[in-house]
Order: sequence, then structure tokens, then C-alpha cells
Amino acid sequence: MTLENTDIQVVNAPAARRTGLSRRQIALLMQAPSVALIGMFFVLPILSIIVLAFWRTESYQIIPDFTLSNFSAVLFEGAYLTFFLRSFITAVAVSAVSVILAWPIAYFIVRVSGRWALLLGMLFALPFFTGEVIRLIALQGLLGPVGLINSMMMWMGLQPIRALIFTPIASAIGIFYLYLPTAVTALCLSLVNFDFRLADAARTFGAGPVRTFLEVTWPLNLVGTLVGFILCFVPALSSALAPRFLGGPNGTLFGMSLAQQFGDTGTWSLGAAMGVFLFAATLLMVFMLSRAVNPQRSGFSGGTAEREGR
Amino acid sequence: MRWPSLAPSLWIGFTAALLCATYAFLYVPIVHVALASVSTNTMWPYPPRWSTAAYTALIHNRVYLEALMNSAIIGLATAVLSTAFATAAIFGLMRYPGRHRGKLLLLYLAPLFVADIVLGISTMVFTNLFMGIGGNLAVAILANAVRCFTYAFLIIAVQLYRYDWRLNDAAMVFGATPVQAFREVTLPLAAPALFSASLSTFILSFNNLEISFYLLGATPTLPAVAWGTLRYGIRPELFAVTTLINLAVILGFAAILISLKVGRHRRLTQAEEVRGLT
Repeated sequence: MTLENTDIQVVNAPAARRTGLSRRQIALLMQAPSVALIGMFFVLPILSIIVLAFWRTESYQIIPDFTLSNFSAVLFEGAYLTFFLRSFITAVAVSAVSVILAWPIAYFIVRVSGRWALLLGMLFALPFFTGEVIRLIALQGLLGPVGLINSMMMWMGLQPIRALIFTPIASAIGIFYLYLPTAVTALCLSLVNFDFRLADAARTFGAGPVRTFLEVTWPLNLVGTLVGFILCFVPALSSALAPRFLGGPNGTLFGMSLAQQFGDTGTWSLGAAMGVFLFAATLLMVFMLSRAVNPQRSGFSGGTAEREGR
Repeated sequence: MRWPSLAPSLWIGFTAALLCATYAFLYVPIVHVALASVSTNTMWPYPPRWSTAAYTALIHNRVYLEALMNSAIIGLATAVLSTAFATAAIFGLMRYPGRHRGKLLLLYLAPLFVADIVLGISTMVFTNLFMGIGGNLAVAILANAVRCFTYAFLIIAVQLYRYDWRLNDAAMVFGATPVQAFREVTLPLAAPALFSASLSTFILSFNNLEISFYLLGATPTLPAVAWGTLRYGIRPELFAVTTLINLAVILGFAAILISLKVGRHRRLTQAEEVRGLT
């Protein structure tokens, strides 16, 4: 055993002593790969679609001169705005329903199910991991013209429900099926980290269950709720696979049209402008929702200090 | 007067029913497709007339085999990259919290707010147009690694943010080197988190369509082949692929669940040992 190993001061600058690097250098080395990855393959790509959005495409050729025509096309050519509004309404409705459903579900999982909480929570996360294509195939089995629901209707001697496939409602159901697990997982994580003794304290001091929920549980989990909403809203707003497969002729959504610009039509710069538009819409939504959070009531004031002191 | 005692059980009954209905909504399609994949009456397999025709068709289709290999390569490489980077980033942030902690967190979580399709097309525009690199496996792996890095980061962070570094300090007081302390104290306790992160990112990138699709050129992956077939209508072998992937994901999740349970047990016993020592 060397003297160095028994040196108590090692405790405060552990790796530094052995490698001859300063704390700062080690900290830098540990973050460098991740920063490089996200910088190269997230920040630069986003910047490059912003640049491309101001260029032109003519007969599959990209011409680098400054123009606003792509953005004016997205904003003023009725079709794209219609697709966007349709996507926006679908995304807001689907995310709202998911979050409203996720609350009682997550509450039950975290608060009531006890030792089964991990299993029940993971059962919700599981379908998310099988990928969109696989889940859309499974959905076809449920909603399709000869799928489970309609076959059951016919088996019982009823008319099949037409709205179940190739309509905007069908793609909304599909998007709901795809992203409900995200909302539930986000809320479960929020409630797992919520100190239920706070709610118990409110009850002890005479607040009823409704008041306890409105004044303690809800505001302290508002951030988790909004994160769940956003994590559902972002992919729902730009969904391209579900409407293509379930939406039918009148169900074109913005993401699907965006994908077409990079496929058959080859109008990349217009597609880039649509991508930038989506990104901006998401940022706007995040900004507006974050303004709804009152930091003082969301547990940010002193909450971390209390946790670190424990 | 009877309301207060009745209300909680009503509420629990209601939420339990809601939970069951949602599980049914999520899993009935999966079970239905699994039954359809093993029967000749694919449309209404109740009761199923057993047949393995769909699986035979799948095995004899060479495209699926090649696609499976490519998806596995993407999954493995992405899992290794994203889990390794996320682990370094989290331990770095926990052990050496600096001034830039907030900015780094913002950068690491930012990809969550961009949908797969935008990630796919923007990476394609960047590599293809600005770097002059055509679609290939390496680019697809790196783009998937961006998406999976954030998930790995969250999965590991959720499980490790309560990690008590005094355990390492204790080990070092008793003569361990920092590396030894990390290997023998931190790593065993962090193993379930790292395992679940790498398995989750493998599954996610294996099954990803929208990121990989734009970056691979003509290289087929399993979701891309399934999507291509799906556009021409549903075929029995698609039910077979779906069922196999669902089964694999269920097995993967069972493995994660077991590792988390074992990890929790280990953490508790180790904490008791340390308490006994001091």
C-alpha cells in the first residue's frame, strides 16, 4: 500500500491526485463526449435546417440564395396551414386526454399499488419501446376494416363503425395509443418523487381531500404534469406515420406533409421551413406552459436545499 | 355521515377500473395480433386454427434477415455509445458540479422537445447537404445516439440522484484508491441503472423508424421493411414480426425489472453493512 492511498486529503479531490489532472479538467473530460455528440448531431442539424429554410429548391436542385418564399408558402398557402391546424388540434386534444387519464392512473400506481408499483409502471412504459411501426400494425388489428372491433360488431350482428379507420378520428386514436404511455410515465415519476407527507400534513390541519389536492398535490406536481403534456404533444404535433396509415384521404397531418417534401416531391427547402415551423411551435408551447408555472408554488423555493439536507 | 368512509373505496375502485381499461386498450391489440400470427384465420382468430405459416414465410424472406442484422447493429452501437456518454455526463455532473450545470442539462434534455422526424430530416440535411456524406449506418447510429442519450441520461439520473458519495469516501478512508472505490462500490450499485439504460436504448434504436429512415439510404432495417410492406396492406408475416418484437421487448423488460429488484435489495444490504461499520 502506498502512502498516497492512505492520504485522507485524497477524499476531497479523488481522481485528481492520481491522474495529475485538475478537477476542472476531469469535469470537462466527462462532459466532452456528450457535448460533442449533441453539438454535432443535434445543434448543427437544427441550424442547418434553419439555413436551408431560407434557400430555394428548383427541380430537385438546391439554390443557396436568400428567400422567404418557403415560410410564406407554409403560412399563406392554405393547405399547409390547414394541415398544421389539424395537427395542432389533434395534438392538444390527445395530450390533454392523455394527461387527464394519466393522473388517476399514476396516482393509483404510486399510491395504492404498493410493491407492485414498479411492475405496473413498467407495463405502461413497455408498449412505447416496441416502436411506432409495430404498434401501428397492432392497431390495425384492433381498428382495421376487418379488425377486432369491427369483427366483433359484425359477429354481434351490428353495423361496423366506419369512423374507426381512414378518418382523422382514427389517426387521433392511433396517436393517443402511441403516446399515452409517455404521459403516464412522466406523471408516475413526478408522483414517485412527491413527498406525500405534505398532503398528509394538510389533511391533519383540517383540509378536505379536494382542497388538499388543489393546494398541495396539484401545484407540487404541476411541472411533472406539464412535462407529460409536452412529451406527448411534441411527437403528436409532428406525427407522420399514424395519419398516413390510419388517417385516410382527409386526414393529412403536418408531419406527413413534411415527410413528403423530403420524399416524392423533393422540395427540401420547403420541408426545412416546415421543420423550423414545427420546432418554433414547440418552443412557443414550452414557453407558454412554463409561464403557467409559479415557481414559488411548484416546490422550487428551497425544495432542493431541503432535499440535500436530508 | 357514511360518505367519508365510502368515498375512498369508491375512488380506488374507479381508478382500478380505469387502470384495467387502459391496460386492455394497450394490450388487446398486441394479444390479438399474436393470436392472428399463429392461426390461419388471421382476421378473427377466435378460436385460432393453429398454423406456423406466417413464421415460415418470415424465415424464408431474406430481406427480413438482412434487416434484422442492420437493426441489431444500430441497436448495439447506439446502446453502447449513448449509455457510456450518459454515464460519464451524469457522474461528472454529480461529482464535479460546476457553474455550467444548468446549461449542460438544458443541452442534454433539449432533444426531447424535437420529434423523431425533425431529428431525422435535419440530420440528413446536415450530413448530406453540408458535409457531403451520403446515408450510412454510422450516421444513423449517431443520430439515434442523440435521441437515446437523453433517455439513458434520464433513466440513470432517476435511479442515481440519491447516490451517497460518502460510500466512496468511506471506502477511500479504508485504503481504496478512487478507481477501486468506483469499481467496487459505485459500479455494483449503479449496475442496474446502467443495465436498464443500455437495454432500453438498444430496444428504442432497434425499433426506430423515423430517425433511421432518412439516414440509411438503401440499407434496410426491420421497422423500415415492416413499414414498406405495410404500405401495401397487412400481411400475415407482419403479424409474425410484430409478435416476435413484442415478445423480445417483454423479455427485455422482465430482465430490467429483475435487475432493478436485485439492485434495490443489494443497495439496502450494503447500506446496512456500511452502517454497521461506522
